[in-house]
Amino acid sequence: MNYILKAVLGAASFGLASTAAFAQTIGPNGESATPSSSIVVPAASEEAVRAGNHTAAMLWHDQSDFVNAVTAGATDEFTRLGIEVVATTNAAFDAAKQRSDIETAMTKGPDIILSLPLDPVTSAAAFEEAKQAGVSLVFLSNLPAGYVHPDHYAAIVTDDLFQMGKQAADALAAAMSNSGSVGWIFHDANYYVTNQRDNAFKTTIENDYPNISIVAEQGISDPARAEEIANAMLLKNPDLGGIYVTWAGPAEGVLAALRANGNTSTKIVTLDLSEPIALDMVRGGNVIAIIADEAYELGRAMAAAGVLGLLGEKVPPFAVAPAITVTAGNVAEGWMQSLRIAPPASVMAGN
Amino acid sequence: MSRIGVPKGFDLQKSVIYVGFFTIFLFFSFTLHDDGFLTTRNLTNIVLQTAPATIMAIGLVFVISAGEFDLSFGSAVAVSALAAAVVLQDYPMLVGVLAGIGAGTLIGALNGVLVAYLRLPSFLVTLATLGLFAGIARSMTNLRSIPVINDSFTGIFGSGKLASVPSLVIWTILAVAVGHFLYWHTRFGAHVLATGDNPRAAQVAGIRIERVRFLVLTLCGATAGLAGILYAGRLQAAKYTLGESDLMTVIAAVIVGGTALKGGKGSIIGALFGSLLMGMLNNGLILMGLSVSDQMIVRGLIILIAVAVSLRDTSH
Repeated sequence: MNYILKAVLGAASFGLASTAAFAQTIGPNGESATPSSSIVVPAASEEAVRAGNHTAAMLWHDQSDFVNAVTAGATDEFTRLGIEVVATTNAAFDAAKQRSDIETAMTKGPDIILSLPLDPVTSAAAFEEAKQAGVSLVFLSNLPAGYVHPDHYAAIVTDDLFQMGKQAADALAAAMSNSGSVGWIFHDANYYVTNQRDNAFKTTIENDYPNISIVAEQGISDPARAEEIANAMLLKNPDLGGIYVTWAGPAEGVLAALRANGNTSTKIVTLDLSEPIALDMVRGGNVIAIIADEAYELGRAMAAAGVLGLLGEKVPPFAVAPAITVTAGNVAEGWMQSLRIAPPASVMAGN
Repeated sequence: MSRIGVPKGFDLQKSVIYVGFFTIFLFFSFTLHDDGFLTTRNLTNIVLQTAPATIMAIGLVFVISAGEFDLSFGSAVAVSALAAAVVLQDYPMLVGVLAGIGAGTLIGALNGVLVAYLRLPSFLVTLATLGLFAGIARSMTNLRSIPVINDSFTGIFGSGKLASVPSLVIWTILAVAVGHFLYWHTRFGAHVLATGDNPRAAQVAGIRIERVRFLVLTLCGATAGLAGILYAGRLQAAKYTLGESDLMTVIAAVIVGGTALKGGKGSIIGALFGSLLMGMLNNGLILMGLSVSDQMIVRGLIILIAVAVSLRDTSH
């Protein structure tokens, strides 16, 4: 049974399903997306870049496997081009700390800044000094309010958010043989990244799978509450065939609820790689797929966009890195493609 | 010499913040000399970045010195900033300022009533109100950030200057001066210390300890309100997460600054240096080019050493 399920999912996910269908992910200002692979520093410019002794800063919002992989991709590209990274920070989702981090990094006069603005409103003033100084700014996912391309920033790079949500819907539908009822646990916050992914899942189920109905919807803002939310959802809907969970953190709570209830039939699909979730998946548990992004490639593209901005070359305003459907059948390749590291030993042992 | 290498009369516990501050300052001055650490701009940045935390720390010194605790200022900051930002969309600056500081003061007064007059433990009361007002901050604006476009407000409470001195530096100096005066040169300050040192003796001496407890918690709410206003001015926006991550930083600044956890002893100037030390560590470790994980490890170790020296009980 487990083998059949893996085979079905493998087919549904097209192996390592890095898709080229970027059209439906749109930028914060409605920009159409360009594949991240098209952002490349021309070989003819590389020597000039190396001779410039440029510096860069990476001012992140948080610390995670995802951020580590983006940092690795960007660092490798900067190193290849002879650019020194002079500051790396973590704002821990604190808007005030992000502003302080920018001020501190500006002391070292970086030519390029890669960052995820925490939200459009608070970030507008925070990046003002860097903007005025002519730093080549490349944003991850969000855009400070009032910033205009290409005068104020080089590019926004993000995941193919629509594809991530869509591939989650496709994987769950395949695991449910295209029929049944599902629960939708979405991120209850005004946040561009998760909102696009969550809505893409819902839209795909509603439009492409007429025999699947979303019978329960519940927002979540604190991942620690996922278990109780899932318990309530299962109490009201004991026959749920599947649950979509907005990202891996709360999915761990949902998995705990299913285990506590002895429920082995309800399938889980979630986004972003996580060891406990992947371990359940490879052991044939409730988790049937994890949708990941090519975080390393995203970092590389951000660095390349920053360099192109520095050179005054044309950079597309909005680029996206591909989505990957990771299943038990392709976990090693998927992990490597997303984060450029091997999966944890426990995941490999369980496969 | 009272102990090996320690001059007679030198109280290491009392001086740890100043010794620690200047040691780390000298270390960064030498190691980061070429990285801009000693530039006026960078040193000013440290003061600007720590201004809200310093002002929160002043309120907390009064609370802890009176033998109580306050955890709720973490969410009072966000409620105050959001209240000011929302009001400033339709009303003049003064009304916005009153709304912000008023919100913080009311939260402090609520804590004060519950602790002083209903005799509930302050740690648990403020743990509950921390969560309560974090939820209220989220629901106030449905998780949205609110922009502040009142130029007078953002100038006076954020990016403005008076005679080349940034407004946040002026607010820090004012708050420290008023706090220090209240703490050491008024009857209220003496009553706070007496209540924290020995509440029963203070009561016998005629001090209305309930009133002291109510006032210190209200004052702490008011300082959280002012910190919220400063955040709103500095970021030109307010968000429900403001102040949340300051909780541990401010507590560490106060304790490292020489305020005794059991009450009856404290220092406003020590809290100022404690707050500046936290800001300087953040700044210097970033400029050193350390990875994020290494920054956290080094900062944690330095705070651990400072707190250990500050709190070491010499009676054993």
